[in-house]
Amino acid sequence: MKEQFNASMLRVHFGENDRWQGKPLHEAILAQCLELGIAEAVVFRGIEGYGSASRIRHASHWPRCKDAPIQMSIIDTDEQIAKLIPYLDSMVEEGLVAASPVEVIRYSNPATSPM
Amino acid sequence: MLQPGKAVKVTIYLSDGATHHGVPLYSSILDFLFYRGVAGATVTKGIAGFGADHHMHTANLVDISDRLPIKIEFIESREKVDAILGKLEELAGSGLIEMQETTVAKPAQVSKPKASPPAAAHLKIEGKAQMMRIFVNEEDRWKAKPLYEALVEAMRANDIAGVTVYRGILGYGAHRRVHKDQPLLHPHHASVMLSAVDTAEKLRAFLPLVDQMVQEGLVVFSDVDIIKYAYRALETDKPTDKLPVAE
Repeated sequence: MKEQFNASMLRVHFGENDRWQGKPLHEAILAQCLELGIAEAVVFRGIEGYGSASRIRHASHWPRCKDAPIQMSIIDTDEQIAKLIPYLDSMVEEGLVAASPVEVIRYSNPATSPM
Repeated sequence: MLQPGKAVKVTIYLSDGATHHGVPLYSSILDFLFYRGVAGATVTKGIAGFGADHHMHTANLVDISDRLPIKIEFIESREKVDAILGKLEELAGSGLIEMQETTVAKPAQVSKPKASPPAAAHLKIEGKAQMMRIFVNEEDRWKAKPLYEALVEAMRANDIAGVTVYRGILGYGAHRRVHKDQPLLHPHHASVMLSAVDTAEKLRAFLPLVDQMVQEGLVVFSDVDIIKYAYRALETDKPTDKLPVAE
């Protein structure tokens, strides 16, 4: 099935060490997106970067010492994204949220998708 | 799809050592023919030959030759050949292209016919453009190869200016199933994003192919401004002046 609609895309930038109630922040935001039924959310780990805290973040292969930059791409209709914003406001202590208008084509298989 | 009757047989003669953007030239041309929906093509490698430069190239173990002749052959309708010939001449560089009238007695059987998208000519882009992001799963496949790889090849064959593939560490899509990149448990079970930039027309012209290839996923368009688009030609891209031509 193919649907085409106008939507918003959020990109949320923060660090891999950031936490929310003991959980990694990106896992917490993703769980919130799932709960709100947001169409698509993907977390990417950068290899190097800096942000609002002005410290350079590096990804490391040593699992115990990592603070890589994290970018989340979240896509859905304007109304759905508006529902998510208050949660981001309270969860992201230090970071950046950028929004842009986008046009979306969604391919889905009704036989396997619960939506 | 190829119909019985009049058709054109095209033969391209190249050198084994010739490369295009770092990959063997014959595989670039084969990808181009594949994603432009040519009915079929065959690459054969010669064991000896000489070309315009009259250098004899042979497969000799003592002097391992990387300039053995390569022959690519395909049969298509006159219209299709005319539509792709320009780009083909550009790709073949100093190689030789031969065409001959032929008759298809019986076309090969196809299970699923494939339409080819119209492709705009390659042009320099600056200013207003679009970014197309495609979200799929890493384990999605298309014709037995990873979907994201097939999409990159298809974009390259259709002259899309550039594309990068990103692997997510966590994500979900239409399935509501969370994909976590766990290197030890499920090495290829992540969300993947392809990000391509080109003019709106070229990206739209590529969409019919996305329609065919992506069963489940999200395609997102946004407007961007291209500030700089520069590339340097690779040393290996220079067409060699010693292309042998067999027969």
